[in-house]
Amino acid sequence: MNCDEISRLLEANCDGELDLVRQLELEAHLRSCPDCALQAKAIAARRNALRDSLPRFTAPSQFRERIRSLIRAEEAPRRAVRRPPIHWSYLSLGGMAASIALAIAVGYNLGISRAHSNALLDEAVSDHVRSLQAGHLMDVISTDQHTVKPWFIGKLDFSPPVVDLADVGFPLAGGRLERIDGRPAAALVFRLRLHSINVFVWPANSGEIPMRDGRENGYNARSWSQGGLNFLAVSEISSAELGQFIEEFRKRTE
Amino acid sequence: MEAFVPNEPPTFEQLMLPHLDAAYNLATWLLRDRHDAEDAVQDACLRAYKALDRFRGDDGRAWLLTIVRNVCYTKMRQDRRGPEEVLFEDEVHGSTQGVANANAVAWSEFKGELLQKGLERLAPEYREVIVLHEIEGLAYKEIASVSGIPIGTVMSRLARARGRLQTEILTLAGKEST
Repeated sequence: MNCDEISRLLEANCDGELDLVRQLELEAHLRSCPDCALQAKAIAARRNALRDSLPRFTAPSQFRERIRSLIRAEEAPRRAVRRPPIHWSYLSLGGMAASIALAIAVGYNLGISRAHSNALLDEAVSDHVRSLQAGHLMDVISTDQHTVKPWFIGKLDFSPPVVDLADVGFPLAGGRLERIDGRPAAALVFRLRLHSINVFVWPANSGEIPMRDGRENGYNARSWSQGGLNFLAVSEISSAELGQFIEEFRKRTE
Repeated sequence: MEAFVPNEPPTFEQLMLPHLDAAYNLATWLLRDRHDAEDAVQDACLRAYKALDRFRGDDGRAWLLTIVRNVCYTKMRQDRRGPEEVLFEDEVHGSTQGVANANAVAWSEFKGELLQKGLERLAPEYREVIVLHEIEGLAYKEIASVSGIPIGTVMSRLARARGRLQTEILTLAGKEST
């Protein structure tokens, strides 16, 4: 990156919003470029002044009580149990129903509630959308699984399975680091025609994710877990195509 | 992220009241009047309560702040009081204009009141991103969801807002010293 590109990223870096790879690249640049380093220092000073000196107005206790009693008054004709979220529906593929029910039960037993896995699917969809918007789809660009897999070593505390599915129409395009569920995850990027598919992979040690199907804002998502890892695939391609992709992906990685 | 027990939905009090200070802070900065802010937050809480069915349980703070923001903007549109504010415009490309001369600014010497006065003079869209980011500590992603804009716009709007704020503060500081 040159100084122009660096200076555009300085604020985002100061705000802790850069991905790890660009952050490291930027820090390396700052060590060797006094001009940019000075600018970074000024940005940090400004940020600290704003954070330290701008007042936060807090709700007076009387007002807090007023809101509380207002809500209690509204609640008096106690509402029925809240509807479950409508955006995500469980997979219902005939014969698979029983095993899916089991998977969901396992998910609950391990402490992943429906709300939590909904939140995960939502998070993955917005990560996918953001990766497209920010033009930050890949940290390592390669159609070669033997380049992508080693790239993750040392960046993650687990080794994500990397396969190329070019022969069945889903070429591997690269990978990047992401955060999902508050921990580092691998994002593998595949292509179908002009579309991209993000597969998020992270260890299931905090709980296996139930098999779920979701759709939001035109994006399809599906989650599953296998071999101690959680997987979440997101794409704008049709649900049927995504299903086909996942079938091929699981065949190669199992 | 909380894992809710599916059969016992959390109450409005559990979900939203922890974020009342954040809601009040945003409304006070946007409307620049504590009474107006109380009215707006109260209105927002009732709306949030009535729409609780549609809340999907991942980020109560962002959800409540979105409603507060919308109520405040509706109020501001209703009683627009003339063009006293610094003109607001989003740039297509991220602007870091004004950052270069940030070097010359001795930030540690400015008093809190001066920063507050400067921020109050910015257009509400700029105030909003600064309040959400610097005071409430929201990430770009959360601001995008509250303000209803893409993450790239959050980044450029925040950069622009800080640049404008810097200009305002320098102007105010110049007036004070003469």
